[in-house]
Amino acid sequence: MNLWELYKSGEWEIPFLTFSIYLFVLASFVFYLIIVGSRNRNIKREKRRLEYDVLIEKVLSSVIFQDVLYSEIKKDKNFLVLFDTNFFREVLTETLINLHKNYEGVYAQKLEQFYKDSGLIKDSFKKLKNFKWEIKCKGITELAEFNIKEAFNQIIACAKARNKTLKITAINAGIKLEGTKGIVHLTEHDDIIDEWTQVNIISAFKKHDIGDTKGVELLLESQNTTVVSLGLKLIKELKLTQKVPFVAELSTNAPNATIKYEAQSVLQALTV
Amino acid sequence: MTFFNTDITWLLDVYILLILGYAILIMSSYLILAYLSQKELRAYLKKNSFVDYEVLLTSEFAPKLSLIAPAYNEGLTIEENVKSLLSLNYNNYQVIVVNDGSKDNSMEILIKTYDLVLGDFAIHPKIETKKIKGIYTSRNAAFKKLIVVDKENGGKADALNVGLNIAQNPYVVCIDVDCILDKDSLLKLAKPFLESQGKRIIATGGVVRIANQCIIKNGRLVEVNIPDVMLPRIQVLEYLRAFLLGRMAWGRLDGLLLISGAFGAFDKEIAILSGGYSTKTVGEDMELIVRMRRYMLENKLPYAVSYIPDPLCWTEAPEDFTIFKKQRSRWMRGTIETLSFHKKMFLNPKYKLLGMLSVPYWTLFEFLAPGIEFVGLVITVIFILFGLLNWHFFLLLLLFVYSFAVFFSVIALFSEERTYHKYPKQTDFFKLLMAAFIEPIYFHPLTVYSALIGYKEKIMGTKGWGEMTRKGFAKK
Repeated sequence: MNLWELYKSGEWEIPFLTFSIYLFVLASFVFYLIIVGSRNRNIKREKRRLEYDVLIEKVLSSVIFQDVLYSEIKKDKNFLVLFDTNFFREVLTETLINLHKNYEGVYAQKLEQFYKDSGLIKDSFKKLKNFKWEIKCKGITELAEFNIKEAFNQIIACAKARNKTLKITAINAGIKLEGTKGIVHLTEHDDIIDEWTQVNIISAFKKHDIGDTKGVELLLESQNTTVVSLGLKLIKELKLTQKVPFVAELSTNAPNATIKYEAQSVLQALTV
Repeated sequence: MTFFNTDITWLLDVYILLILGYAILIMSSYLILAYLSQKELRAYLKKNSFVDYEVLLTSEFAPKLSLIAPAYNEGLTIEENVKSLLSLNYNNYQVIVVNDGSKDNSMEILIKTYDLVLGDFAIHPKIETKKIKGIYTSRNAAFKKLIVVDKENGGKADALNVGLNIAQNPYVVCIDVDCILDKDSLLKLAKPFLESQGKRIIATGGVVRIANQCIIKNGRLVEVNIPDVMLPRIQVLEYLRAFLLGRMAWGRLDGLLLISGAFGAFDKEIAILSGGYSTKTVGEDMELIVRMRRYMLENKLPYAVSYIPDPLCWTEAPEDFTIFKKQRSRWMRGTIETLSFHKKMFLNPKYKLLGMLSVPYWTLFEFLAPGIEFVGLVITVIFILFGLLNWHFFLLLLLFVYSFAVFFSVIALFSEERTYHKYPKQTDFFKLLMAAFIEPIYFHPLTVYSALIGYKEKIMGTKGWGEMTRKGFAKK
């Protein structure tokens, strides 16, 4: 009997209830199995991570403190086998990034060299080309962390993306790699740069201690008032007194009252 | 149809169809909301993995917040609770503790601990409140963020309104003083206010979780545990269902009617323009959100209410039935009062999604559901007495509802497992799984009963909160 006939006969309730009960019980059981499976996978993954951590720490400390090159490390077959697995490379990249954040000077350079020699850099470039924005973000973060300036153009292309997280990640990376060159393209930007993005950009300038601020004043000429607002905030937060004439000019020719008020407040903060 | 042993009337058929139809409607709506929540949750977590909240810590452009913590007879815990509020990860904020005419020694403790002196505050109240006895600030620079207001007792809403009048910052965060906040909770709550694009963010809310049997150290949660006692344990599951599978979806649809009174942030200007917290209801948290939304819609101002799925606030759930009953009957009264104040919005296209979906949903599935269940129960008893009941059908219907309730709880556990994974211990997971099987036969009838008490209290004209005693958290 097909469903329509069952419905028409008025005898559908019992089969419907029976079917639904079976469905709910089965679905609950499937979800239960997925949860248990996921828990087991996570436990195994954590176990493997701990094992990898031991080996990675050994390898990287030899790179930093004993000047061991990657060409020597790859002679270890065990390392090479592990290096072929995605998860190992993922853990290795994370550890490398964390160490790089903590070291400066020669030690940091050795880690950068290891990143290039080991081919992890290729993984990052691959990620940059991925269609998924979250993978792109990962690639951008890695390339920026290791100061790969060759990636700048590709990264800055991502700054024009509609996805806000990708946009912020790309702009921050651009600022880290090339300073103000990472933001001047915003003068032509049509979309709204919300305050969260602005705060992130300002923070990137402060965090990476960008000394050369040539070009920040160009933001004040944008047709996009949110970009102008970003420029004003940057000038105020970084205390760029050399940009006062540009701000003064903006305060007299402001596109709207809000910008005028903001410009006057920046002027006041910088000149008092 | 041949469901009944005696000659059946079409009325009985209609009744069966109505019951089944209502059950299917409520279940489908839960599943649709759960699906939307999952989608939103995954998108949020993906996005959030790249967010650096620290940027707000060092920025002068971070939204300036005023925390308002009403306190009534909190003498036992107030010292530690205020200390924990003062040590949150955020720079631009002040803490306003409003002592709502406590009968215990809360005020003395605050004055002594925080070296408070009467301050010289010029207040221009925009919302009418009970009389303020004094406003205190600390002589100790370490507590410069703290303002303590001593006022005549007027209830939680009145105390919050005093806070709104005194707050110096554009955003207010209303919290229950005895809640345990995540250290980064303010950073997460403030972020949406910076993300508005053409729409004014008028409120943000976060997820509240149950802290019974969790370990607290220096006002911070250090170990998450599942309670051994069944009533709070099932409430852990209930909160997971509500927050992870329900509110997230309403947030996505921008139809959220409730931001928990335990922890939520508001645009002060809009809150005041809407009239502040209503002292005429015990559901002041829900009522304010509805009124703020209504204000924005009636004035044709573009706006949004943001919802954060991160567990930011941990609260103590009632462990015994008497307190639980008081809490739930009060929630029901609050719902009835809010829906009744704003009945104009019901199926009114002028209020867009809110009027056409959110308010009808709350009316049908939150307000009327316990009543419908009760009527169903009474009719079933009548059927039994008159020998009209088809037991086969009745048992199948019960099993249908039971299996769905278990299934929905398992989805909530699945969602928690794939997202925040706050209960990593195997024993905790199995405790929750067990709770899923017990919930429909033990906890659900209690909630329905409490809601019916709420109906009764509303009809009898009961006002006020009633005494809510708390057991306190385990400390390390």
